[in-house]
Amino acid sequence: MHQDNRLTLELPPDVAFLPAAVGAAENAAQVFGLDQGGALKLALAVEEFFAYLCRFAGREEPLRMTLSQGGTFVRVAFRFRAGDVSLRALNFAANVTLDEGSDGACAQSDELGLLVAARTTDRCSLESSGSGVYVLLAEVDRSYPEGEPLRTRQALTPPISVPQTEGGPASGLLQHAALLAAGRYPARACPNSFFRPARFADMVASGQYQALVAQDGAGRPAGLICWRSSGPRAVVFSGPYQFDDGPDKALGQEIARQLTDRFLSLVARTEVLCAFSERPTADVPQGWFERLGSLTLRGEEAHAPESQPALFRHLREDVGGAVWAHPDLVDFLTRQYDRLAFSRDILKTEPTPSARLAQHSLLATALDRRRGLALLRPLLDGQDFAANLSAHVAALLGQTMEDGGAPDILLHMDLSEPWQGALYPALQANGFTPRLILPHAGASDILVCQYVAAHS
Amino acid sequence: MSLPIAELVPQHIRAFEAYVPSRPDPELMRVYKVDHLHRLNNNENALGPPPAARRVIDAFEPPRSAIYPSGDSFFLRTALGERFGMDPERFLVGNGSCEVIASVIKAFCEKGDNIITADKTFAVYEWVAEFSGFQAKLIALKNYAFDPEAMLAAMDSRTKILFVCNPNNPTGTWWDRETMERFLRAVDGRAIVVLDEAYREYVDDERFPDGMELMERHKNVVVFRTFSKMYALAGLRVGYVCGNKEVVDYIRRTHIVYSVNGLGQTAAVAALSDDVEHIAATRRMVDRARELLLPAFRELDLPYVSGAGNFVMVQTPASDSLIYRQLMRRGVMVRTMTGFRFPNWVRISLVQEPVMLDFLAAFREVIGQVRADGDADVQA
Repeated sequence: MHQDNRLTLELPPDVAFLPAAVGAAENAAQVFGLDQGGALKLALAVEEFFAYLCRFAGREEPLRMTLSQGGTFVRVAFRFRAGDVSLRALNFAANVTLDEGSDGACAQSDELGLLVAARTTDRCSLESSGSGVYVLLAEVDRSYPEGEPLRTRQALTPPISVPQTEGGPASGLLQHAALLAAGRYPARACPNSFFRPARFADMVASGQYQALVAQDGAGRPAGLICWRSSGPRAVVFSGPYQFDDGPDKALGQEIARQLTDRFLSLVARTEVLCAFSERPTADVPQGWFERLGSLTLRGEEAHAPESQPALFRHLREDVGGAVWAHPDLVDFLTRQYDRLAFSRDILKTEPTPSARLAQHSLLATALDRRRGLALLRPLLDGQDFAANLSAHVAALLGQTMEDGGAPDILLHMDLSEPWQGALYPALQANGFTPRLILPHAGASDILVCQYVAAHS
Repeated sequence: MSLPIAELVPQHIRAFEAYVPSRPDPELMRVYKVDHLHRLNNNENALGPPPAARRVIDAFEPPRSAIYPSGDSFFLRTALGERFGMDPERFLVGNGSCEVIASVIKAFCEKGDNIITADKTFAVYEWVAEFSGFQAKLIALKNYAFDPEAMLAAMDSRTKILFVCNPNNPTGTWWDRETMERFLRAVDGRAIVVLDEAYREYVDDERFPDGMELMERHKNVVVFRTFSKMYALAGLRVGYVCGNKEVVDYIRRTHIVYSVNGLGQTAAVAALSDDVEHIAATRRMVDRARELLLPAFRELDLPYVSGAGNFVMVQTPASDSLIYRQLMRRGVMVRTMTGFRFPNWVRISLVQEPVMLDFLAAFREVIGQVRADGDADVQA
C-alpha cells in the first residue's frame, strides 16, 4: 500500500524476507529525507527488529511494517502479535549480558539486536493495539543545523495582528520568530526545536506543531505561540512569547493576549478537550489558565532549583470521570481534585499478583537534554517493575547531561489504566512523589510524579 | 490483519470533533454532589410551554405512541401557513433547527463550495458545513454583531449560503430592517441567505426585520424558526424552515421525513394557537431577570453583553470552565463560551427571579473566591 508519505508492507515472519524489509527501509528513508547516516540507522533498526520479531512474534499473521515520513523524522512501525516477545531490551536502562544464557522465553543474547536498534534510533516506543497486538515504533530524526538565538533589542509598533494564512505562517517567519524567542526566554521555556529553527518550521509544516506568529504594524514578528497534541484530547502549548522591548509594557501584554485568544479560538472547536503547559512563560495573560501545581526543576547542574508552574485550561464543560488509584494515592488525588473543583470517581486498584505478570516491564524514556529533564512512562507492567524503575533512575542520574543523563526525572502515570494506578507503591519506594494532575492529558487524567530523593 | 478503521474514514471526518452533549441532570448532580440543579445553560424558557400545549401534552394517550406521526408534519405546516398567510408547502418541519440546517446545506452545496457565517455565533452552521466537507468562511464579529460588509467581501463564485443568526446567539445583537435590506440587495440573489430567527419572539422592536416578509421580495431568503426557545418545547424537538416555494422544493429533496414525533407536532400546533399571553409573560420574566443581573455585573466590575434573547453573556476574571465547575458545585449550570470563541465568558439564561437570585449568590461567591485565590492567577 502506498500514500505520498507512507509505505506499508505485509511480510511473512520469515528471515528470508529480511532483505526486502531492509531494502524498503533504506529506500524509504532516502525518499523521506534522511541523509545517508540516518538512512543506515533506520535500516539497521529495521534489520534488528524484523529479525527479532520473526523469531518471537506470533506466527499466525504477517508482520506489518509501515515506513512513514513525519516531517522532521522517518518512522518505522511494526504491528505484531505478542507471541513469545520480551521487549525489555527497549528499556533505557536495559543492558544485556551475553554469557548469561537463557532468560525466560528468549535468551538475552537474542535481545542484543533489540538493544542495538533501540539505541540506534532517536526514539523507540510501544503501543498496545488491542488484545495481544502491539505496535513497535522507532524514529530517526533528520539533521538540522543549530541557529544563533537573536538577542537584539527592539521596540515594536502597534497595531498588533495575528494574521491567519492558509497553511500557517511561512517557514522563514517561523524560523525568525523561533530564534527571537530562544534569545529572549530561558531555555527551559522553549521547545528544543527553537534552537534548530529549520526543524521547528518543518515540525509546523508537517503538523507536529501548530503555531501562530504575531506581527507589528511594520510587519515584523512580534510574538509566537505553538502547541502540539498530547494524547487524543489535549494540546500542550509553549509560550506565548512576545518580542517587544519598548517602554510600554501594554504592547507586550497585547501581543500575548492576541496570541492566546487566537490559539484558544482555533482549538476550541476541535476534538481537543483541554490545553496545558508545563513550561508557560511569564507572559501568559492573567486569569486565562488555572494553576495545576508546580514542579521543582534543577535543570543544569549549576542552577538552583526553580519552581515551574503547570497551567491548564479546560475547553469544555467538565462532565466528571473516573480514575484508578492505589489506596495510598487516594488522599492526594482527593485533595487535588477538590482544589481544582474537578469531579472524579476514584476507583481503587491493587497491584496485579506477581504470578499473573510477565517477567519484564517496559518504560518509555523521553530525554530533553537541553533542559536536563527525563520523562518516564510505564508501557508494560512486569514482575521486575520496581527494579526496572530503580535501574532507570540510577542510569539517568549516573550520567552527565552530555551523556544522556538528567537531574530532573518525571513519571507520567495514566490513571485510566488500573495497572498504572496500582504502581504507586513501587514509585514511592523509588523516591517518586505525586506532584500534580494533568486532566485529560492521556486516555484519562495523568498523574505527574517527580523523583525527589536527590533533592532532599 | 484488517485495516485500522481510521483509514476508512474521510479526512474531513477524522479531523472533526464529535459533539458531546451535556450529561443528564441526575448524572451531573451525582457527579457534582448537589441536590438541585438550576439549568441556565441552554436558553430554555423556564415558564414551560403555553397552556394549550400543556393540555395537549397532558392528554397524550400512550397507545398513540404505537402510531407513526405525520411524515411531513401536515397539520403543523397547515397551522404555520395560516399563521403567516402562506402556502403550507413553503414550510418544512424538522427535528429541531439543527436538522433543517443540514437539509439546506445538503440541498445547495457540492464539492468545492463554501458557506459564510460569523466566527462567534451558533456553531452548528460551521459544524455541519465542515463535517459535510464544505469550507465554512468565518467572519469576525464587529462590535459583537455580524459584519455585513465583511461577509459580502468574503463571497466568491463558490459561496452558496450565508447564515445570519438574527438575533445572534450568544451576543444578542441584531440587524435592523435597513441593514438587512441593504445586505440582501448587495447579495443580489447570488447565494441563499439563511436568517436564523430562533430568538426573534424575544424582540419587541419594530425596527427588527421580519424574515417572513423579506422572503416575498428576496427569493433567496430562507428563514429558520424553532419551538424550542420561546415556545418551550425543546424536549420535543420541533423547528422549521420557510422560504420561497422553489427553494423549499429543493430543500425537501434532502430533508428527512418522519423525524418529528407526533406529540411534538400537536403540541406545536397548540402552542401557536395560544401564544399571546405566553410571549408577554416570558418577556416580562426575561426583563426582570435582566434588571437583576446587569446591575450586579456592573457592581462586580465585570463586562457583559446583553442584547435580544433570553440570555446575557458576562466576562469572568478566570477561565470559563473553572467558573462552570465552581458554579456546578453550587447547583448552577451555565454555558461556557470558549466553544463560541469567547474565552473567559459565560452565558446565562434569563429565568424566574428566585433562580436568578440563587445564581447571583453563587456567582458572587465564586467570583470572590477566584479573585482571592492565587491559584487562578498565573502570576501567583
